Amino acid sequence: MHKLEVLEEGRRPISVRRRDVLKAVAASVVASATSALTGGAHSAGADDLATGKGTAMNSRPLMTVRIAAAPPQKLYTVPHGIRSIVPVTGGDFDGARLRGQILPGGGDWLLLRSDGVLELDLRITLETDDHALIYMTFQGLRHGPPDVIAALARGEAVDPASYYFRTVPRFETSTEKYAFLNRIITVGVGETRPDGAVHKIDEIL
Amino acid sequence: MISRLLMTLQVVVPPPQKLGAVPHGTRLVAPIASGTFEGPRLRGKVLPGGADWLLLRSDGVLELDLRITLETDDSALIYMTSFGLRHGPPEVLAALARGESVDPSKYYFRTAPRFETSAPQYAFLNRLIAISSGDRRANGPVYTIEEIL
Repeated sequence: MHKLEVLEEGRRPISVRRRDVLKAVAASVVASATSALTGGAHSAGADDLATGKGTAMNSRPLMTVRIAAAPPQKLYTVPHGIRSIVPVTGGDFDGARLRGQILPGGGDWLLLRSDGVLELDLRITLETDDHALIYMTFQGLRHGPPDVIAALARGEAVDPASYYFRTVPRFETSTEKYAFLNRIITVGVGETRPDGAVHKIDEIL
Repeated sequence: MISRLLMTLQVVVPPPQKLGAVPHGTRLVAPIASGTFEGPRLRGKVLPGGADWLLLRSDGVLELDLRITLETDDSALIYMTSFGLRHGPPEVLAALARGESVDPSKYYFRTAPRFETSAPQYAFLNRLIAISSGDRRANGPVYTIEEIL
């Protein structure tokens, strides 16, 4: 998958060792889920998180989307930040109610903001195994401790609990069988892997 | 999905401007007159001037597209947008349209708010994904907004 090294230019020097971050997140499921915030200096309310105040939202799995992408087109500094455009070449998705392939032709328009947060803006077309087409978009955010982001940029495998990577996908389809997608709000938990991005998407009930 | 409470937001909505049938559906613009918000990390009031650009789609789903400015009790300004969906059984939506009190569990009303602020004490809002659950009451909706952890 694409590497975001261009996006990491000018970041602060490493201040937290990844091993320490990973050690810190091993304590519990809740701590793991919140570690992206507790692991860096960018958190407000980290004390609350450390005490495990997060609760399970009323949601259920929709699908896991695995995205294959070409190397990014690096546009460098534009008025809103540092822009990279990542063409999507393929991939697949599967869940209890739908599965299939990602068609080539979509992309993710990435913007690294001045506050170090990476904004994602994805548009892809899904084709289900019964040949329905689904237009999917999402907007999302990715950020974390500098050393973790640097490891991601080097294409290393990193525990996704050590950074924050969340998206809000939306769907459009004309197929009656999948029309429920037109009517739901969803949230994705993202993971940047060496071979591409994986998004576990939950339907908010 | 793990989350925690960000705030409860209540907005006061005067009668909407009814633009009728437009190419994407039936359009209403609902100016936001005022409101309040309160949570463990921020509280304050909604400034006048925002609105919710509502679109009733052909499949019966109401799309919400809100833009408002929040002012915290320590005078920081926060720009908030929110995209959402509302739908439910016809009789429930009819009761809402009549301004009746309806149990919010009887319909689907969820939104995905986003925030922008320059205030350092609220900069965490720039970096989070949030989801809200709406409750359409007679004088305006109440949103319970959760931060996705």
